[in-house]
This record gives sequence, C-alpha cells and structure tokens, in this order.
Amino acid sequence: MDIAHKRFNRADLLSLKGRLDAASAPQLKQQIESLFEQGRYRIVLDMSELEYLASPGLRVLIEARKRARDWKITDLEGGDVRIANLPPRIKEVFDLTGFTALFETYPDVTEAIGSF
Amino acid sequence: MHLVYSRKAADNQATEVLTVPATLDSLAHISAFIAGATAQAGLDEHTAWQVELAIDEAATNIIEHAYDAAAPGAIKLTWQLSVDELIITLHDWGRQFDPNAVPSPDVDASLDDRQAGGLGMFLMNKLMDTVRYEFDEQHGNMLTMTKHINRSSEAPQVFGLSGRLDASGTDQELERVRTAIGNGVRHILLDMGDVSFMSSSGLRALLLLRKDVLARNGVLRLCALQPQVLEVFSITGFTQVFAIHRTREDALAAFGQGAP
Repeated sequence: MDIAHKRFNRADLLSLKGRLDAASAPQLKQQIESLFEQGRYRIVLDMSELEYLASPGLRVLIEARKRARDWKITDLEGGDVRIANLPPRIKEVFDLTGFTALFETYPDVTEAIGSF
Repeated sequence: MHLVYSRKAADNQATEVLTVPATLDSLAHISAFIAGATAQAGLDEHTAWQVELAIDEAATNIIEHAYDAAAPGAIKLTWQLSVDELIITLHDWGRQFDPNAVPSPDVDASLDDRQAGGLGMFLMNKLMDTVRYEFDEQHGNMLTMTKHINRSSEAPQVFGLSGRLDASGTDQELERVRTAIGNGVRHILLDMGDVSFMSSSGLRALLLLRKDVLARNGVLRLCALQPQVLEVFSITGFTQVFAIHRTREDALAAFGQGAP
C-alpha cells in the first residue's frame, strides 16, 4: 500500500492507495502514530484509491479514532479521524461490520478537511 | 521461499493445492491462488471478492495466532469445485483453534464500547455460505469454507484443458465442460495453455462444443494457444470461426462485450 501525506492547517490528509490488509496495516498504524506524536490529532483518510480492505485495517481505523478523540481542545472541539471517498467495495466492508455508523464520512477531501 | 504448487484434474473436478509459510508475505500468493479458483468457478467479480476476503481473513488468523511468530509453520490451502459449490480448505499444524473462544463483535456498539477483535471471523461467516472448524491431534486445524456457485450467473466459466486433443484424449478433456453446459453454464472460456497437440478430431469436438454453446445463446472463447495448436486453427481457416485470445485476461475482458 502507498500512503501519501499532505499537511493542511486544519488537518492532516493521508491518501491510501492499494491494499490495506494484515501485511500493510502496520504501515498505516505507524503513519498515524507519528502524526499523534507530532500533536496532530485531526486526520482525514482519503480512500478513493483504496482497492481492498480487510479486518486488520479496520482494527487500525477504530483504534486510531479512539485515540484521536481522546485529544480535546474544548468539550466540543478536538481530534478525530474522518474519511473521504469510500469506494463501493470498501463501503460494503464498512456496512457489513457496522463501521459506517462509527465514522464520519465525506464525499470528497475538501469537505472532509473543511469539517474540522 | 518455500512454495509448493500443484495442479491436477481428477474425476471431472478441478482441484488445486498451495502450501506456503504462515507469514504475512504469503498473503499475496494466497490471494492469487484464490483468484485462480474463483475464475475457474466462474464467479462474478463481487462473489469472487467475497471469497478472496474470507480466505484472506482466515489465513491472517492462522498467521497471527496458530504459530509462534519466531517459528512459523505452514498453511496448506486446497480448493475444489463441485457441481454447485467452491470448497476451500485451510490446513495448519499450529496450536488448536477454538472458534467459540473468539467473542463475536457487537456491530451495533458505539465507538467507545466497540472492541477491535473478532472482525475477521465475523466477516468469514458473513461472506461464505458455510464455515466449519475441525481439529485433531494428528492432523491439526482444518478449516473448510464453501461458497455456492450461481449457475444462472452470466459470468463465464473457465476450463483449463491439457495434454493432447486427439481422437482418444478430447472426449475426456471436454467432459467436464459438457457437464457444466448441461448444468446451465452459458459462457465458456477454454484455456488451452497446457494443450500440446490438437488433431482434426480435436478441432471437430471443439466445433460441436461451440454449436452447443451458441444454441444456448452463450459465448465460447479460447485463449493461450501454443503455436503448434494455433497453426491447426489457422491452416484450416478456423481462426475466423473461433474467438481466440492471446491471454486469459484478454479473453475474460472480452466477455460482456457481446458476441465475438
């Protein structure tokens, strides 16, 4: 899997390309951890070019969102992991596992970044 | 890397075996192996993806839990086609797996209450028609999963032919193709990559097969012909009759684009 990183004032964008499975999940986990270490808790994951998602990837997503939301500026504002561009096959995995209700998803990157 | 790959066709049933080390590097091999199975079964793209994901989850569980990471053992995968099912087994010789010890995830739980484990098994159960675990001291863990093959599907079914298509060999090779047509499969792709020789009897049998397929509004395509086999088609002028493709991928891509 390829992960491209782009920093915006409001949030950090990670664009995922390829397969997110047991072999590549540690790579995403590490990338997110490194953002957390820099005090960056607002993350958008662009999944438009994600071709495949298996449960080890889902585990990284859920743990990342829990960690991000522990970081708070005020009671109403804080960190989050949000998703832009869910391809149909990835959305199906989200629907099957109940992840659709666990994440805020946006139709494009601009909206997702702007949501922070 | 230790990699064993074998292929045989017995009793009109396609079956293949892959043995790989239980490491993350093997997941790509396993995925390619399963893609071969779903193509042979003639599964549509969506069903093929469901099978690929289920097997990926099963293999990941074995890689992460069956063996000690320092000394990974092997996973042996087998797929087999019956008339209406794709049957896939994963065999390992690691510690005993007890499916009842894995809590099922609560997919309706809120984020705070949501546990990250158990999703792999949950997906396997969702994506496959049957999932069965067996263990015994001698043979280790055996996981068998099945997926129903929808024979009314418009997806082409792929058959790998091999050996000599001559007066004596052709009937045997084409028997399972005829069985499939009898079972309602309409679109057929014959992968002739392993066919080393074809006589006029072989050509005649293919013409009859083509007639059967066309009579059912189906499409017959051939692919991966060896040069000496392709020559039989060209000198008899039958390259214009049959839809012949260079690779299996080309041929599969051509289905769905109308009659050749």
